[in-house]
Amino acid sequence: MKKLLLATAVALLSSTAFADVAVIVNPANGNAIDEGTIKKIYLGKAKSFDDGTKVNPVNQDGNSVSDEFNDKVVGKSSSQLNAYWSKLVFTGKGTPPEKLANDQAVIDFVSTNGDAIGYIDASKVTDKVKVVATF
Amino acid sequence: MKKLPIALALCAAFVSANTLAEVRINGFASIVGGKTLDDDNATLYGYDDDISFKNESMFALQLSADLQEKLSATAQIVARGSDDFDAEFEWAYLTYEFTDELQVSAGKMRVPFYRYSDFLDVGYTYRWVRPPQSVYNLPFSTYEGLSLLHNTQLGDWDSTVQVIYGSFDDKIAVVSVNGDTELNDIAGINWTLSYDWFSARAAYFVAETSIAIENDTDAGIALNGLEQTLRNAGFVDQADDIAVNEDDGSFLALGFSIDYNDILFDAEYTEFEVDNSALAKQTQYYSSVGYRMDEWTVHLTYENNDDKHDSSRYNALPAVPALNAGINQVLESGKAKSNVYTIGTRYDFHPSAALKVDFSRFKDDITDTDTDVVAVAVDLVF
Repeated sequence: MKKLLLATAVALLSSTAFADVAVIVNPANGNAIDEGTIKKIYLGKAKSFDDGTKVNPVNQDGNSVSDEFNDKVVGKSSSQLNAYWSKLVFTGKGTPPEKLANDQAVIDFVSTNGDAIGYIDASKVTDKVKVVATF
Repeated sequence: MKKLPIALALCAAFVSANTLAEVRINGFASIVGGKTLDDDNATLYGYDDDISFKNESMFALQLSADLQEKLSATAQIVARGSDDFDAEFEWAYLTYEFTDELQVSAGKMRVPFYRYSDFLDVGYTYRWVRPPQSVYNLPFSTYEGLSLLHNTQLGDWDSTVQVIYGSFDDKIAVVSVNGDTELNDIAGINWTLSYDWFSARAAYFVAETSIAIENDTDAGIALNGLEQTLRNAGFVDQADDIAVNEDDGSFLALGFSIDYNDILFDAEYTEFEVDNSALAKQTQYYSSVGYRMDEWTVHLTYENNDDKHDSSRYNALPAVPALNAGINQVLESGKAKSNVYTIGTRYDFHPSAALKVDFSRFKDDITDTDTDVVAVAVDLVF
Protein backbone atom coordinates (compact mmCIF):
# COMPACT_ATOMS: atom_id res chain seq x y z
CA MET A 1 0.00 0.00 0.00
CA LYS A 2 2.85 2.30 0.89
CA LYS A 3 4.47 1.61 -2.46
CA LEU A 4 1.28 2.37 -4.30
CA LEU A 5 0.94 5.69 -2.50
CA LEU A 6 4.52 6.54 -3.34
CA ALA A 7 3.99 5.64 -6.98
CA THR A 8 0.87 7.82 -7.11
CA ALA A 9 2.73 10.66 -5.45
CA VAL A 10 5.57 10.38 -7.95
CA ALA A 11 3.09 10.25 -10.83
CA LEU A 12 1.30 13.34 -9.54
CA LEU A 13 4.54 15.22 -9.01
CA SER A 14 5.91 14.38 -12.42
CA SER A 15 2.67 15.30 -14.14
CA THR A 16 2.85 18.78 -12.60
CA ALA A 17 6.54 19.11 -13.31
CA PHE A 18 6.16 18.01 -16.92
CA ALA A 19 2.88 19.69 -17.88
CA ASP A 20 2.65 20.36 -21.59
CA VAL A 21 3.45 23.83 -22.86
CA ALA A 22 1.24 25.38 -25.53
CA VAL A 23 2.65 28.03 -27.84
CA ILE A 24 -0.04 30.56 -28.60
CA VAL A 25 -0.68 33.43 -31.01
CA ASN A 26 -3.51 35.85 -31.63
CA PRO A 27 -6.52 34.11 -33.28
CA ALA A 28 -6.18 36.53 -36.21
CA ASN A 29 -2.62 35.35 -36.92
CA GLY A 30 -2.72 33.05 -39.96
CA ASN A 31 1.01 32.32 -40.29
CA ALA A 32 2.30 28.76 -40.25
CA ILE A 33 4.71 28.46 -37.31
CA ASP A 34 6.73 25.29 -36.72
CA GLU A 35 9.08 24.31 -33.89
CA GLY A 36 12.17 25.59 -35.72
CA THR A 37 10.57 29.01 -36.22
CA ILE A 38 9.50 29.20 -32.57
CA LYS A 39 13.07 28.43 -31.45
CA LYS A 40 14.46 31.08 -33.82
CA ILE A 41 11.95 33.67 -32.56
CA TYR A 42 12.92 32.99 -28.94
CA LEU A 43 16.65 33.23 -29.79
CA GLY A 44 16.12 36.53 -31.63
CA LYS A 45 17.16 34.97 -34.96
CA ALA A 46 13.74 35.34 -36.58
CA LYS A 47 12.26 38.81 -36.17
CA SER A 48 9.22 38.62 -38.45
CA PHE A 49 6.39 36.21 -39.26
CA ASP A 50 6.14 34.77 -42.80
CA ASP A 51 3.76 37.56 -43.83
CA GLY A 52 6.38 40.18 -42.84
CA THR A 53 4.76 41.34 -39.58
CA LYS A 54 7.34 42.06 -36.86
CA VAL A 55 6.99 39.39 -34.21
CA ASN A 56 6.40 40.47 -30.62
CA PRO A 57 7.34 37.51 -28.39
CA VAL A 58 6.78 37.32 -24.63
CA ASN A 59 8.41 35.09 -22.05
CA GLN A 60 7.29 34.10 -18.59
CA ASP A 61 9.35 35.21 -15.65
CA GLY A 62 11.43 32.35 -14.25
CA ASN A 63 8.54 30.02 -13.39
CA SER A 64 8.02 26.32 -14.13
CA VAL A 65 6.33 27.06 -17.48
CA SER A 66 9.32 29.06 -18.72
CA ASP A 67 11.77 26.40 -17.47
CA GLU A 68 9.75 23.80 -19.34
CA PHE A 69 9.65 25.89 -22.53
CA ASN A 70 13.37 26.74 -22.42
CA ASP A 71 14.26 23.11 -21.87
CA LYS A 72 11.91 21.55 -24.46
CA VAL A 73 11.86 24.14 -27.23
CA VAL A 74 14.89 26.41 -26.92
CA GLY A 75 17.17 23.67 -25.55
CA LYS A 76 19.06 25.88 -23.08
CA SER A 77 19.11 26.25 -19.31
CA SER A 78 18.13 29.61 -17.84
CA SER A 79 21.81 30.44 -17.15
CA GLN A 80 22.80 29.56 -20.71
CA LEU A 81 19.93 31.66 -22.08
CA ASN A 82 20.91 34.55 -19.86
CA ALA A 83 24.49 34.36 -21.18
CA TYR A 84 23.20 34.06 -24.76
CA TRP A 85 21.05 37.19 -24.46
CA SER A 86 23.76 39.11 -22.62
CA LYS A 87 25.96 38.70 -25.70
CA LEU A 88 23.26 40.30 -27.86
CA VAL A 89 22.07 42.95 -25.41
CA PHE A 90 25.53 44.36 -24.62
CA THR A 91 26.47 44.58 -28.29
CA GLY A 92 23.23 46.21 -29.44
CA LYS A 93 22.31 43.18 -31.52
CA GLY A 94 19.10 42.21 -29.81
CA THR A 95 16.67 42.57 -26.94
CA PRO A 96 15.24 39.53 -25.15
CA PRO A 97 11.47 38.99 -25.18
CA GLU A 98 9.65 40.85 -22.43
CA LYS A 99 8.85 38.74 -19.36
CA LEU A 100 5.27 38.50 -18.14
CA ALA A 101 4.30 37.18 -14.72
CA ASN A 102 2.06 34.19 -15.49
CA ASP A 103 -0.17 32.29 -17.94
CA GLN A 104 -3.06 34.76 -17.57
CA ALA A 105 -0.83 37.76 -18.35
CA VAL A 106 0.41 35.99 -21.49
CA ILE A 107 -3.14 35.14 -22.59
CA ASP A 108 -4.21 38.78 -22.07
CA PHE A 109 -1.19 40.05 -24.02
CA VAL A 110 -1.54 37.63 -26.92
CA SER A 111 -5.30 38.08 -27.24
CA THR A 112 -4.93 41.86 -27.54
CA ASN A 113 -1.81 42.01 -29.77
CA GLY A 114 -2.03 40.69 -33.34
CA ASP A 115 1.77 40.36 -33.62
CA ALA A 116 2.27 38.53 -30.32
CA ILE A 117 3.48 35.02 -29.58
CA GLY A 118 3.71 33.44 -26.14
CA TYR A 119 3.56 30.15 -24.30
CA ILE A 120 1.43 28.90 -21.42
CA ASP A 121 0.58 25.75 -19.51
CA ALA A 122 -1.44 23.75 -22.08
CA SER A 123 -4.25 23.18 -19.59
CA LYS A 124 -4.86 26.96 -19.33
CA VAL A 125 -5.62 27.52 -23.03
CA THR A 126 -8.79 29.55 -23.70
CA ASP A 127 -10.61 30.41 -26.93
CA LYS A 128 -9.14 33.94 -26.82
CA VAL A 129 -5.87 32.58 -28.25
CA LYS A 130 -4.80 30.15 -30.96
CA VAL A 131 -2.47 27.22 -30.21
CA VAL A 132 0.19 26.73 -32.89
CA ALA A 133 2.20 23.98 -31.21
CA THR A 134 2.24 21.91 -28.03
CA PHE A 135 5.40 20.48 -26.46
CA MET B 1 35.39 61.44 -14.70
CA LYS B 2 34.78 64.51 -16.82
CA LYS B 3 32.77 62.42 -19.21
CA LEU B 4 30.09 61.35 -16.76
CA PRO B 5 28.00 64.55 -16.93
CA ILE B 6 27.79 64.00 -20.69
CA ALA B 7 26.37 60.58 -19.97
CA LEU B 8 23.72 62.06 -17.75
CA ALA B 9 22.95 64.76 -20.28
CA LEU B 10 22.61 62.12 -22.96
CA CYS B 11 20.24 60.08 -20.82
CA ALA B 12 18.20 63.17 -20.11
CA ALA B 13 18.15 63.90 -23.83
CA PHE B 14 16.90 60.40 -24.55
CA VAL B 15 14.10 60.83 -22.10
CA SER B 16 13.03 64.37 -22.89
CA ALA B 17 13.45 64.32 -26.68
CA ASN B 18 10.79 61.71 -27.03
CA THR B 19 8.72 60.83 -24.04
CA LEU B 20 7.56 57.71 -25.90
CA ALA B 21 11.11 56.40 -26.20
CA GLU B 22 11.56 53.54 -23.80
CA VAL B 23 14.97 53.65 -22.14
CA ARG B 24 16.23 50.23 -21.17
CA ILE B 25 18.87 49.96 -18.49
CA ASN B 26 21.01 46.85 -18.36
CA GLY B 27 24.24 46.28 -16.57
CA PHE B 28 27.00 43.89 -15.76
CA ALA B 29 29.71 43.67 -13.17
CA SER B 30 32.68 41.57 -12.20
CA ILE B 31 34.25 41.48 -8.77
CA VAL B 32 37.61 39.77 -9.08
CA GLY B 33 40.19 39.06 -6.42
CA GLY B 34 43.57 37.62 -7.33
CA LYS B 35 47.29 37.41 -6.62
CA THR B 36 50.45 35.81 -7.91
CA LEU B 37 51.70 32.81 -5.98
CA ASP B 38 55.37 33.73 -6.23
CA ASP B 39 57.48 35.66 -3.74
CA ASP B 40 59.52 37.44 -6.39
CA ASN B 41 58.50 40.71 -8.01
CA ALA B 42 56.87 39.07 -11.00
CA THR B 43 53.52 40.50 -12.08
CA LEU B 44 50.91 38.91 -14.29
CA TYR B 45 47.55 40.23 -15.51
CA GLY B 46 48.17 43.23 -13.25
CA TYR B 47 48.60 41.17 -10.06
CA ASP B 48 51.57 40.92 -7.76
CA ASP B 49 51.93 38.84 -4.60
CA ASP B 50 49.55 41.07 -2.62
CA ILE B 51 45.92 40.16 -3.14
CA SER B 52 44.02 42.77 -5.15
CA PHE B 53 40.25 43.08 -5.51
CA LYS B 54 40.58 46.17 -7.66
CA ASN B 55 42.76 45.18 -10.59
CA GLU B 56 40.22 43.27 -12.69
CA SER B 57 36.97 44.36 -11.06
CA MET B 58 34.56 46.46 -13.06
CA PHE B 59 31.03 47.76 -13.15
CA ALA B 60 29.04 48.83 -16.22
CA LEU B 61 25.67 50.29 -17.10
CA GLN B 62 24.10 50.26 -20.52
CA LEU B 63 21.37 52.62 -21.59
CA SER B 64 19.52 52.00 -24.80
CA ALA B 65 16.56 53.73 -26.31
CA ASP B 66 14.46 53.09 -29.39
CA LEU B 67 14.21 56.67 -30.63
CA GLN B 68 11.68 55.86 -33.32
CA GLU B 69 11.05 52.96 -35.57
CA LYS B 70 14.33 51.35 -36.72
CA LEU B 71 16.56 53.90 -34.95
CA SER B 72 18.12 53.23 -31.56
CA ALA B 73 20.80 54.78 -29.38
CA THR B 74 23.03 52.84 -27.01
CA ALA B 75 25.63 53.96 -24.50
CA GLN B 76 27.75 51.82 -22.21
CA ILE B 77 29.46 53.42 -19.25
CA VAL B 78 32.20 51.34 -17.70
CA ALA B 79 34.07 51.87 -14.43
CA ARG B 80 37.21 49.76 -14.06
CA GLY B 81 39.07 49.10 -10.85
CA SER B 82 42.35 49.36 -12.75
CA ASP B 83 41.27 52.90 -13.61
CA ASP B 84 40.24 53.80 -10.03
CA PHE B 85 36.62 53.14 -11.06
CA ASP B 86 36.53 56.31 -13.13
CA ALA B 87 33.44 55.97 -15.29
CA GLU B 88 34.08 56.17 -19.02
CA PHE B 89 32.07 55.70 -22.16
CA GLU B 90 33.31 52.56 -23.88
CA TRP B 91 30.45 52.34 -26.34
CA ALA B 92 28.19 55.14 -27.57
CA TYR B 93 26.47 54.63 -30.87
CA LEU B 94 23.37 54.96 -32.97
CA THR B 95 21.95 52.01 -34.89
CA TYR B 96 19.65 52.11 -37.87
CA GLU B 97 17.96 48.89 -38.96
CA PHE B 98 17.40 48.85 -42.71
CA THR B 99 15.81 45.39 -42.60
CA ASP B 100 15.73 42.42 -40.25
CA GLU B 101 19.02 41.34 -41.85
CA LEU B 102 20.92 44.61 -42.27
CA GLN B 103 21.83 47.30 -39.74
CA VAL B 104 24.35 50.11 -39.63
CA SER B 105 25.85 51.60 -36.46
CA ALA B 106 27.82 54.81 -36.04
CA GLY B 107 29.77 56.02 -33.03
CA LYS B 108 32.22 54.55 -30.58
CA MET B 109 32.26 50.76 -30.66
CA ARG B 110 34.39 47.69 -30.06
CA VAL B 111 36.74 46.52 -32.83
CA PRO B 112 35.63 42.90 -33.42
CA PHE B 113 39.19 41.51 -33.28
CA TYR B 114 38.31 38.33 -31.40
CA ARG B 115 35.44 35.94 -30.99
CA TYR B 116 34.71 37.37 -27.54
CA SER B 117 35.59 41.00 -28.37
CA ASP B 118 32.06 42.32 -28.40
CA PHE B 119 31.38 41.09 -24.88
CA LEU B 120 34.96 41.08 -23.57
CA ASP B 121 33.90 42.89 -20.40
CA VAL B 122 30.81 40.76 -19.79
CA GLY B 123 32.50 37.99 -17.85
CA TYR B 124 29.14 36.28 -17.36
CA THR B 125 29.12 35.27 -21.05
CA TYR B 126 32.25 33.09 -20.94
CA ARG B 127 33.79 30.43 -18.73
CA TRP B 128 37.15 31.98 -17.80
CA VAL B 129 37.83 34.77 -15.32
CA ARG B 130 39.44 36.52 -18.34
CA PRO B 131 39.68 35.41 -21.99
CA PRO B 132 43.10 33.90 -22.87
CA GLN B 133 45.43 36.91 -22.65
CA SER B 134 48.11 35.58 -25.01
CA VAL B 135 45.54 36.11 -27.77
CA TYR B 136 43.38 38.85 -26.21
CA ASN B 137 46.40 41.13 -25.92
CA LEU B 138 45.99 44.17 -28.16
CA PRO B 139 46.35 47.29 -26.01
CA PHE B 140 43.22 48.94 -27.37
CA SER B 141 39.75 47.63 -28.08
CA THR B 142 37.50 50.43 -29.30
CA TYR B 143 37.27 52.66 -32.35
CA GLU B 144 35.15 55.51 -33.61
CA GLY B 145 33.44 55.00 -36.92
CA LEU B 146 30.93 52.86 -38.74
CA SER B 147 29.87 49.24 -38.58
CA LEU B 148 27.68 47.45 -41.07
CA LEU B 149 26.17 44.21 -39.85
CA HIS B 150 24.49 41.64 -42.08
CA ASN B 151 22.77 38.51 -40.74
CA THR B 152 21.45 35.79 -43.01
CA GLN B 153 20.49 32.16 -42.84
CA LEU B 154 22.11 29.81 -45.31
CA GLY B 155 20.00 26.69 -44.87
CA ASP B 156 20.59 25.62 -41.27
CA TRP B 157 23.60 27.92 -40.92
CA ASP B 158 23.57 31.46 -39.54
CA SER B 159 25.95 33.84 -41.24
CA THR B 160 27.00 37.17 -39.73
CA VAL B 161 29.19 39.52 -41.72
CA GLN B 162 30.41 42.74 -40.15
CA VAL B 163 32.35 45.39 -42.03
CA ILE B 164 33.91 48.27 -40.09
CA TYR B 165 35.63 51.53 -40.92
CA GLY B 166 36.97 54.17 -38.55
CA SER B 167 39.85 55.43 -36.48
CA PHE B 168 41.38 55.33 -33.02
CA ASP B 169 43.23 58.11 -31.22
CA ASP B 170 44.42 57.72 -27.62
CA LYS B 171 47.44 56.90 -25.44
CA ILE B 172 48.42 53.25 -25.22
CA ALA B 173 51.25 51.26 -23.66
CA VAL B 174 53.47 49.86 -26.41
CA VAL B 175 57.22 49.87 -25.66
CA SER B 176 56.68 53.08 -23.64
CA VAL B 177 53.88 53.58 -21.13
CA ASN B 178 52.01 56.55 -22.53
CA GLY B 179 52.45 56.67 -26.29
CA ASP B 180 50.15 58.89 -28.31
CA THR B 181 48.64 56.50 -30.78
CA GLU B 182 46.77 57.19 -33.96
CA LEU B 183 45.21 54.49 -36.07
CA ASN B 184 43.75 55.86 -39.27
CA ASP B 185 41.65 54.15 -41.90
CA ILE B 186 40.92 51.14 -39.73
CA ALA B 187 39.05 48.86 -42.11
CA GLY B 188 38.13 45.25 -41.84
CA ILE B 189 35.74 42.39 -42.07
CA ASN B 190 34.59 39.81 -39.56
CA TRP B 191 32.63 36.78 -40.71
CA THR B 192 31.00 34.23 -38.43
CA LEU B 193 29.24 31.09 -39.59
CA SER B 194 27.40 29.03 -37.04
CA TYR B 195 25.32 25.90 -36.97
CA ASP B 196 23.56 25.05 -33.72
CA TRP B 197 26.58 23.63 -31.78
CA PHE B 198 29.38 24.73 -34.11
CA SER B 199 30.69 28.16 -34.99
CA ALA B 200 33.65 29.34 -37.07
CA ARG B 201 34.95 32.84 -37.64
CA ALA B 202 37.55 34.73 -39.61
CA ALA B 203 38.50 38.39 -39.26
CA TYR B 204 40.95 40.65 -41.03
CA PHE B 205 41.75 44.30 -40.28
CA VAL B 206 44.19 46.86 -41.56
CA ALA B 207 45.07 50.31 -40.20
CA GLU B 208 47.64 53.02 -40.82
CA THR B 209 49.47 52.88 -37.50
CA SER B 210 51.41 55.60 -35.68
CA ILE B 211 52.61 55.18 -32.11
CA ALA B 212 54.79 57.83 -30.46
CA ILE B 213 57.35 56.09 -28.25
CA GLU B 214 57.96 58.15 -25.10
CA ASN B 215 61.16 58.13 -23.05
CA ASP B 216 59.30 56.72 -20.04
CA THR B 217 60.82 53.22 -20.10
CA ASP B 218 64.35 51.88 -20.69
CA ALA B 219 63.17 50.26 -23.91
CA GLY B 220 61.60 53.55 -25.04
CA ILE B 221 64.81 55.50 -24.33
CA ALA B 222 66.97 52.92 -26.16
CA LEU B 223 64.66 52.87 -29.15
CA ASN B 224 64.37 56.65 -29.45
CA GLY B 225 68.14 57.01 -28.99
CA LEU B 226 68.86 54.63 -31.83
CA GLU B 227 66.26 56.19 -34.13
CA GLN B 228 67.68 59.68 -33.53
CA THR B 229 71.26 58.52 -34.07
CA LEU B 230 70.30 56.84 -37.35
CA ARG B 231 68.41 59.93 -38.50
CA ASN B 232 71.28 62.30 -37.57
CA ALA B 233 73.72 60.07 -39.44
CA GLY B 234 71.55 60.28 -42.55
CA PHE B 235 70.22 56.71 -42.43
CA VAL B 236 66.62 57.84 -42.88
CA ASP B 237 65.25 54.50 -44.17
CA GLN B 238 66.72 52.59 -41.23
CA ALA B 239 65.37 55.21 -38.80
CA ASP B 240 61.92 54.94 -40.42
CA ASP B 241 62.06 51.17 -39.98
CA ILE B 242 62.43 51.68 -36.22
CA ALA B 243 59.80 54.38 -35.75
CA VAL B 244 56.13 53.42 -35.71
CA ASN B 245 54.98 56.20 -37.97
CA GLU B 246 52.24 55.83 -40.59
CA ASP B 247 53.11 52.16 -41.01
CA ASP B 248 50.77 49.49 -42.36
CA GLY B 249 49.31 47.44 -39.54
CA SER B 250 47.43 44.22 -40.18
CA PHE B 251 45.55 41.78 -37.99
CA LEU B 252 44.27 38.31 -38.84
CA ALA B 253 42.13 36.07 -36.64
CA LEU B 254 40.78 32.58 -37.23
CA GLY B 255 38.78 30.61 -34.73
CA PHE B 256 36.10 28.08 -34.07
CA SER B 257 34.05 26.91 -31.15
CA ILE B 258 31.97 23.90 -30.25
CA ASP B 259 29.24 23.49 -27.63
CA TYR B 260 28.04 19.91 -28.09
CA ASN B 261 26.39 17.72 -25.44
CA ASP B 262 27.93 19.86 -22.69
CA ILE B 263 31.41 19.48 -24.18
CA LEU B 264 32.93 22.88 -24.97
CA PHE B 265 35.87 23.52 -27.24
CA ASP B 266 37.33 26.85 -28.39
CA ALA B 267 40.39 27.70 -30.43
CA GLU B 268 41.61 31.02 -31.84
CA TYR B 269 44.70 31.92 -33.82
CA THR B 270 45.82 35.53 -34.40
CA GLU B 271 48.61 37.36 -36.22
CA PHE B 272 49.45 41.01 -35.76
CA GLU B 273 52.07 42.98 -37.61
CA VAL B 274 53.09 46.61 -38.16
CA ASP B 275 55.32 46.68 -41.25
CA ASN B 276 58.62 48.60 -41.18
CA SER B 277 58.57 49.30 -37.46
CA ALA B 278 60.34 48.18 -34.31
CA LEU B 279 57.22 46.18 -33.36
CA ALA B 280 57.80 42.46 -33.78
CA LYS B 281 55.31 40.29 -35.65
CA GLN B 282 53.06 38.60 -33.11
CA THR B 283 51.67 35.09 -33.56
CA GLN B 284 49.50 33.55 -30.91
CA TYR B 285 46.81 30.95 -30.31
CA TYR B 286 44.91 29.15 -27.61
CA SER B 287 42.80 26.07 -27.42
CA SER B 288 40.46 25.36 -24.58
CA VAL B 289 38.26 22.44 -23.56
CA GLY B 290 35.45 22.57 -21.05
CA TYR B 291 32.79 20.28 -19.69
CA ARG B 292 29.45 21.43 -18.31
CA MET B 293 27.65 19.52 -15.57
CA ASP B 294 24.42 21.42 -14.93
CA GLU B 295 25.50 24.46 -12.90
CA TRP B 296 29.21 23.55 -12.97
CA THR B 297 31.71 23.97 -15.77
CA VAL B 298 35.34 22.86 -15.61
CA HIS B 299 37.90 23.93 -18.20
CA LEU B 300 41.51 23.64 -19.28
CA THR B 301 43.21 26.11 -21.63
CA TYR B 302 46.61 26.20 -23.34
CA GLU B 303 47.91 29.48 -24.82
CA ASN B 304 51.02 30.19 -26.84
CA ASN B 305 52.62 33.46 -27.90
CA ASP B 306 55.56 34.00 -30.23
CA ASP B 307 56.75 37.52 -31.17
CA LYS B 308 59.69 37.98 -33.49
CA HIS B 309 60.99 39.93 -36.46
CA ASP B 310 61.60 38.31 -39.83
CA SER B 311 65.27 37.33 -40.17
CA SER B 312 65.39 39.60 -43.26
CA ARG B 313 65.07 42.59 -40.91
CA TYR B 314 68.42 41.88 -39.26
CA ASN B 315 71.77 43.31 -40.43
CA ALA B 316 70.08 46.29 -42.07
CA LEU B 317 73.24 48.45 -41.94
CA PRO B 318 76.31 46.20 -42.41
CA ALA B 319 78.42 49.22 -43.49
CA VAL B 320 78.29 50.69 -39.97
CA PRO B 321 78.87 47.80 -37.52
CA ALA B 322 78.02 49.77 -34.36
CA LEU B 323 74.64 50.98 -35.67
CA ASN B 324 74.00 47.60 -37.27
CA ALA B 325 74.46 45.97 -33.88
CA GLY B 326 72.15 48.58 -32.33
CA ILE B 327 69.40 47.79 -34.85
CA ASN B 328 69.83 44.04 -34.29
CA GLN B 329 69.60 44.60 -30.56
CA VAL B 330 66.33 46.54 -30.85
CA LEU B 331 64.87 43.84 -33.13
CA GLU B 332 66.05 41.15 -30.72
CA SER B 333 64.51 42.93 -27.72
CA GLY B 334 61.11 42.70 -29.43
CA LYS B 335 61.26 38.94 -29.16
CA ALA B 336 58.87 37.19 -26.82
CA LYS B 337 57.96 33.58 -26.40
CA SER B 338 55.63 32.29 -23.76
CA ASN B 339 52.88 29.85 -22.94
CA VAL B 340 50.13 29.66 -20.35
CA TYR B 341 48.15 26.81 -18.86
CA THR B 342 44.89 27.70 -17.14
CA ILE B 343 42.64 25.38 -15.22
CA GLY B 344 39.41 26.68 -13.80
CA THR B 345 35.82 26.22 -12.86
CA ARG B 346 32.60 28.17 -13.16
CA TYR B 347 29.60 27.69 -10.90
CA ASP B 348 26.26 29.21 -11.93
CA PHE B 349 24.98 29.70 -8.42
CA HIS B 350 22.24 32.12 -9.51
CA PRO B 351 20.36 32.64 -12.81
CA SER B 352 22.20 35.97 -13.28
CA ALA B 353 25.49 35.37 -11.52
CA ALA B 354 28.44 33.02 -11.75
CA LEU B 355 31.34 32.25 -9.44
CA LYS B 356 34.66 31.41 -11.09
CA VAL B 357 38.08 30.29 -9.96
CA ASP B 358 41.01 30.20 -12.41
CA PHE B 359 44.58 29.14 -11.83
CA SER B 360 47.08 30.17 -14.54
CA ARG B 361 50.74 29.28 -14.96
CA PHE B 362 52.59 31.63 -17.30
CA LYS B 363 55.94 30.45 -18.62
CA ASP B 364 58.37 32.86 -20.25
CA ASP B 365 60.44 30.68 -22.60
CA ILE B 366 63.14 33.34 -23.03
CA THR B 367 63.93 33.93 -19.36
CA ASP B 368 62.76 30.40 -18.46
CA THR B 369 60.66 31.66 -15.54
CA ASP B 370 57.19 30.70 -14.33
CA THR B 371 54.57 32.96 -12.80
CA ASP B 372 51.40 31.60 -11.21
CA VAL B 373 48.21 33.58 -10.72
CA VAL B 374 45.04 32.56 -8.98
CA ALA B 375 41.85 34.62 -9.29
CA VAL B 376 38.32 34.30 -7.94
CA ALA B 377 35.51 36.17 -9.69
CA VAL B 378 31.82 36.83 -9.32
CA ASP B 379 30.33 37.90 -12.65
CA LEU B 380 26.79 39.17 -12.92
CA VAL B 381 24.37 40.65 -15.41
CA PHE B 382 21.28 42.65 -14.57
